[in-house]
Amino acid sequence: MPDVDVLVVGAGPGGCIAAREAARAAPELAVLLIERDPAVGVPVRCAEGVGDAGLREFADPTDASWVSRRISRVIFIAPDDTEVPVAERDVGWILDRSRFDACLAAEAAASGAVVRTGVAASGMDRVGERWAVTLQGPGTGGREETVRARVVIGADGVETMVGRWAGLDTRVPARDMESCAQDLLAGIAFDPDAIYLQFSDRDAPGGYAWLFPKGLGVANVGLGVVALRARGRTARQYLDAWIARRYPAGTRLGTTVGGVIVHPTVRRAFTDGVLLVGDAAHMVNPLSGGGIVNAMKSGRLAGRAAAAAIRAGDISAARLASYQRDWMTLLGDDHLKYYAIKRALERCDDEFFNALARTVNRIAPAKRTLGRIFAHALVRHPQLLAVAARFFV
Amino acid sequence: MTRLPGAASLAAMIAARSPEIAAVDLARCDRCGLCLPLCPPAAIRLGSVDLLIDAGACTGCRKCIAPCPVGALRMGLRA
Repeated sequence: MPDVDVLVVGAGPGGCIAAREAARAAPELAVLLIERDPAVGVPVRCAEGVGDAGLREFADPTDASWVSRRISRVIFIAPDDTEVPVAERDVGWILDRSRFDACLAAEAAASGAVVRTGVAASGMDRVGERWAVTLQGPGTGGREETVRARVVIGADGVETMVGRWAGLDTRVPARDMESCAQDLLAGIAFDPDAIYLQFSDRDAPGGYAWLFPKGLGVANVGLGVVALRARGRTARQYLDAWIARRYPAGTRLGTTVGGVIVHPTVRRAFTDGVLLVGDAAHMVNPLSGGGIVNAMKSGRLAGRAAAAAIRAGDISAARLASYQRDWMTLLGDDHLKYYAIKRALERCDDEFFNALARTVNRIAPAKRTLGRIFAHALVRHPQLLAVAARFFV
Repeated sequence: MTRLPGAASLAAMIAARSPEIAAVDLARCDRCGLCLPLCPPAAIRLGSVDLLIDAGACTGCRKCIAPCPVGALRMGLRA
């Protein structure tokens, strides 16, 4: 039975960075990164948008092969289809996740981690001071293998099982699960430097609809809904209706579905010899649904925490609790505030967003910032003030 | 002395009483994994090519049904 020091389950952005950072922090450690699917990065189950500053902490997008588009504008769409362009400096990037994830996995390997694809974890048990993890899949040649790890980093996404096997509570209440569907559409008209976001109870109840450019005339077009508010229709049905209304001439080149957990961070993302990162620990921004940078930031913390704990000879929950504290300070506490704003926005109806769009469009475009938009929202909806006070004070 | 049932056996008792359990239409399922964290007893697993529902563990609570983005989950009679 082979032994490793750190086993990272899942080679998305969070897992790749965790493996890379653990290997860099302690080159003497054996780090194994496993990916269930036969190739890192596919299938892409993501809208692929990422903020500029967060991305640059981990990778340089300049002339990178894994960039699809640079984004310099956000266009909000009111329920009545009024468009509100908002220019922000350095908005962000639309990635090609299949290439991006592969580059990150290659970096993990170059840093000393062993990467294996087509290998899934199918169970794990505590054996002494290690976790015995069962591996299977095409990458094991069809045989069941067991690997013993000092620390297991669960970067296994929305569907995480590492957390459950380790006895952590990673369940999600139905109201905090966004059901998403997305098509890759070609032959449609839009501003290729902008992302589009439509907030509307009719089109995407409990969530929003998006268009993220992949190239000229080609975009990720998708939406998320909360089933409890979806009047018995699926995300797929809402997306078909939205596309029929806004992009009827589009040609579908691809399609995907998935869940986005818009819930604050799990109370415990750690236990003896286990850390959870990214989606597996509900570290998605609950207001935007964005999770790529969050996963990488938590992966960096987890990889370094695991390496330091092993070097110190103490992988107990008491020691690894520092990971949770560091995450909450870095972003987790902010997510609690974003979650409160999300809950407050749920009480705003379509007429509120229509009126807000008309008001904001009277502000000169150069002065139209998210801060000013929020200020106008406060005037119209004073109940947001209580949330804003907690947020800013 | 009579022992009180533990949480696991209570769940099993509730499950045994539910005439219906979740069933997956594999022709629709995209294996996105959204239903896994919604399932209280962790009765759903992603297989290498399919989605597996443990009929013995499913309590028939229906929490996974409506959120499926493609409507691949339905309630069906316990076999």
